[in-house]
Amino acid sequence: MDFGMLLSSYAEVFTSLQVLLMTFIGALGGILLGAIPGMTATMGVALLVPFSFGMDLIPAIGLLLGIYCGGMYGGSISAILIHAPGTPSAAATVLDGYPMTKKGEAGRALSVAMFSSFCGGIIGALIMTFLSPLIADMAMNFGPGEMFMLAFFGLSVIISISGKSITKGLMSAFLGMFMCCVGLDPTNGIPRFMTVKQTGLLDGFQFIPALIGMFAVAEVIAGVERILTGKEHTASSNEKITSVLPDLKTIGMIWPNILSGSIIGTFIGAIPGAGGDIAVFVSYGASKSASRHPELYGTGIPQGVAATESANNGCSGGAMIPLLSLGVPGDAVTAVLLGAFIMKGIQPGPMMYVSELHTVYKVFAALMLANLCMLIVGCLGVRFFAKIVSVEKTMLYPIILVISLLGAFSINKSVFDIGVCVAFGVFGWLMNKYEFPLSPILLTLILGPMC
Amino acid sequence: MTKKTQSLAFANLVASVLFIALGIWGIFQMLNLQTVKDTYAQPNVFPIAMIVGMLIFSVILFIQSILKLSKMDVKDPNVEQAESINFIKDKGVQGALIVIALCIAFVLLFRPLGYVLDAAIIGFVIMALIGKRNWVVMVIVSILIPFVMWLLFFKLLSVNIPMGPLTFLKDLIARI
Repeated sequence: MDFGMLLSSYAEVFTSLQVLLMTFIGALGGILLGAIPGMTATMGVALLVPFSFGMDLIPAIGLLLGIYCGGMYGGSISAILIHAPGTPSAAATVLDGYPMTKKGEAGRALSVAMFSSFCGGIIGALIMTFLSPLIADMAMNFGPGEMFMLAFFGLSVIISISGKSITKGLMSAFLGMFMCCVGLDPTNGIPRFMTVKQTGLLDGFQFIPALIGMFAVAEVIAGVERILTGKEHTASSNEKITSVLPDLKTIGMIWPNILSGSIIGTFIGAIPGAGGDIAVFVSYGASKSASRHPELYGTGIPQGVAATESANNGCSGGAMIPLLSLGVPGDAVTAVLLGAFIMKGIQPGPMMYVSELHTVYKVFAALMLANLCMLIVGCLGVRFFAKIVSVEKTMLYPIILVISLLGAFSINKSVFDIGVCVAFGVFGWLMNKYEFPLSPILLTLILGPMC
Repeated sequence: MTKKTQSLAFANLVASVLFIALGIWGIFQMLNLQTVKDTYAQPNVFPIAMIVGMLIFSVILFIQSILKLSKMDVKDPNVEQAESINFIKDKGVQGALIVIALCIAFVLLFRPLGYVLDAAIIGFVIMALIGKRNWVVMVIVSILIPFVMWLLFFKLLSVNIPMGPLTFLKDLIARI
């Protein structure tokens, strides 16, 4: 490991105004979206990824990592205040977070969540910094056969992200691979599933309009449906937030939970497909069984919140390990990050540690910065975010839709791409309605061409 | 639930038939594809392999659904019910279809109307559709958000977005 280059990369990232600004905006957007129940970090990345196209790689990655880390923490706000986890990975925070609110300790719960998220993120980033070069070094000996197996291993993640039915997950995955075949055959230049006149499809379905369609437009269509059938409820919170950071006594109580949660989160996050939603429950269970008073878990204690939130954000560093060292995304958000790297002409994987070491170190620094921005934005805006949980969806959905459609256009300045985005939106809505998972399609759209 | 056709198993059955139909269409398309001389990697090899994979799992889902339906007791409260897609009776599905129609209209009118006007109309109509009734807020939000987004893309990201009748705004902003 070249510590000199690592330090200079950190200095470059932390002194670049553009990177600082973009990461800050990303963290703000991520927390805002994460705090609204039903809006996930994947959706946040899908919405904001078009903004990153005109930028250099590192500000773009800073923006996306900011959303990722912010979204992970943001989910805990609604989980604590209104008993509705903003993101799936905040589901376990409800167990102790909401009882704390009922006891009148909402401010304390939010401060513990923020502090634990920050520590989890930092520990995850540190483990990533020192572990991923070792894995990449091992992967340097891989030949074409091993690389194919690696891409295939990435695709096998589908089994773990298939939801209730593996059959449906595999159907989605093969459909995604089938969609990858649309366009010109890369070896012989023969058009497949299109005519030569359909120039918009020459390169196949563009990944970003498809992503925006499946994760943002589909959610808007489903949201409108829920509102009209009375299934969408907006809960509100009138809790008074008195503190933004936990006091020293509380930190003394929660630090073992933070440490164990961060390590568990990072290692579970590093397993492709096993994301924050699994890590938080494993960490909560481990913290409960190690405690002298396991009976207190679930009654509203800060240790429970610390265990889940540190694991949640530790995952962000963990998920980056297979992405950077092997080129295999750890979850849906890192799959989008992989797409962002490829669009900037950089192929993540072991060779990146040889040809683009400076860029790798800057990505490490960007993740550290994203966690720092999350803490600053969280401290400054926690009182405001407590209000955002009850934002009116009647306003939110139209706003998301018009931003999504513009994002789809902005990539290639093509109206055809907006059509692709709408088509994938309708497709995603129907697939969600009948419980066909969308994540395998997302994964195959990225990894398919690699195979 | 009163009928087996309202169950998730029936929805899965329909979905598997649709997937099988798509797969058969895909195979026919690929069998008629132009071949290339002196190469093993024909352009139809990979798509056919993927379609066959999709067909195998579609057939598995088809068989699973048939077995579930044959054993199903509609009065059993544990039977999973599928979400409705009946656009005649279901208000939610009607709303979803209106949003889809608005999105298609947005695509068709994108060039002639430009982004800001097009997005303002679609945003306003959706807000009205889902029950927002504060007209002043609706007008302000539906115009302001697309305008701010356009400004952001135009000034900060240098993305040229069609503005239709409002093209003069580009010159105006460029002068500021």
